[in-house]
Amino acid sequence: MIIAEQKKLEEIQALVGNARKVLIAGCGTCVTVCFAGGEKEVGILASALRMKSRLEGKPLAVDEVTVQRQCEWEYIDPLGERLKDYDLVISLACGIGVQAMNERFPDTITVPGLNTTFLGLPEEQGVWEERCQACGDCILGITGGICPIARCSKQLLNGPCGGSQRGVCEVNPETPCAWQLIWERAEKLGRVEQLLAIQPPKDWSKSRDGGPRKIVREDLRLVENE
Amino acid sequence: MKTVADLLEQIGLGRERVAMVNLSSAMGAQFAEMVREMTERVRALGPNPLDQTEAADDHC
Repeated sequence: MIIAEQKKLEEIQALVGNARKVLIAGCGTCVTVCFAGGEKEVGILASALRMKSRLEGKPLAVDEVTVQRQCEWEYIDPLGERLKDYDLVISLACGIGVQAMNERFPDTITVPGLNTTFLGLPEEQGVWEERCQACGDCILGITGGICPIARCSKQLLNGPCGGSQRGVCEVNPETPCAWQLIWERAEKLGRVEQLLAIQPPKDWSKSRDGGPRKIVREDLRLVENE
Repeated sequence: MKTVADLLEQIGLGRERVAMVNLSSAMGAQFAEMVREMTERVRALGPNPLDQTEAADDHC
C-alpha cells in the first residue's frame, strides 16, 4: 500500500494561509491503514487546527469528511457541491488523491496535509518499510521475492556491493542487505543457480526514466478508441 | 503519550499539560503524590489558554 506521514502542523497552517473556512478531506484506503489520513487523523488535525488558530487569535472554521478512496472520481464526485462553502481543502490522502481533487474541482484549492513516502508494508505495529518502487519491470521471480530495486540502496541487479557488511547495508546499518537476503533465500530454496546468470542492465524506460507512465486497456474501456 | 505531548506543543498549549505514570492498585500513596505533583504543575501553568479566547464556547 501507499505509506504516508502527516506534515507538521506549522507547515499545514502555512499552506492554509489566509483561508478562514477549510475542509479536511481524509481517505479511507491506504492512508487510513497507515494511520496518516483516515477519519481519526482527520478529526485530530481538525481539532488541532481549531485550537491553534484560536490561540493565535484567528479562529479557523474547520469541517471534516472522509471518502472511501480519494483517487477515484466516483468517490470524490459527491463532494463537488459541498466544496463551494470552503476557501480551501486540506487533503489527507496521498499525492494521487490531492491531484485528483485539484483535477476534478479546479475552482477549489486542495493542498496536501501528508507527505506521500513510499510503497510498503507494516513490518510490525507502527513500523512501515519500503518494498516496491513500481519500476514497471518486476524481477521478483528471479530474486526469490525480495526486491533489490526497492531494498538495495544501489539498486544492484547482480549481487551485493563491497559495502555489504555482516548482512547489513553500508548506507544504514539498520537496513538489511537485500542481496544477502536474496542469497540466503536462494540457498534455502536450492535455487542459487538461478542467481548465477548475469542480469543485463535494467530497462529504466519502463520506470520513471521514461517519463510519466500510462496504461490503456482497450478491453476495459467503455468508449472505443478509433 | 509522546505523540499527544508533541501535538499539544505544536498547538501552543504546551507539552507539560499531559503526563502518564504507571502505578499498581497497591500504590495509593504514590498515586496521591503524583496527582498532587500534576495539580501543582497545571496550576503553575495557569488556566487553559483556550478558555481565554473569544470563541471559547465553540466545540474543539
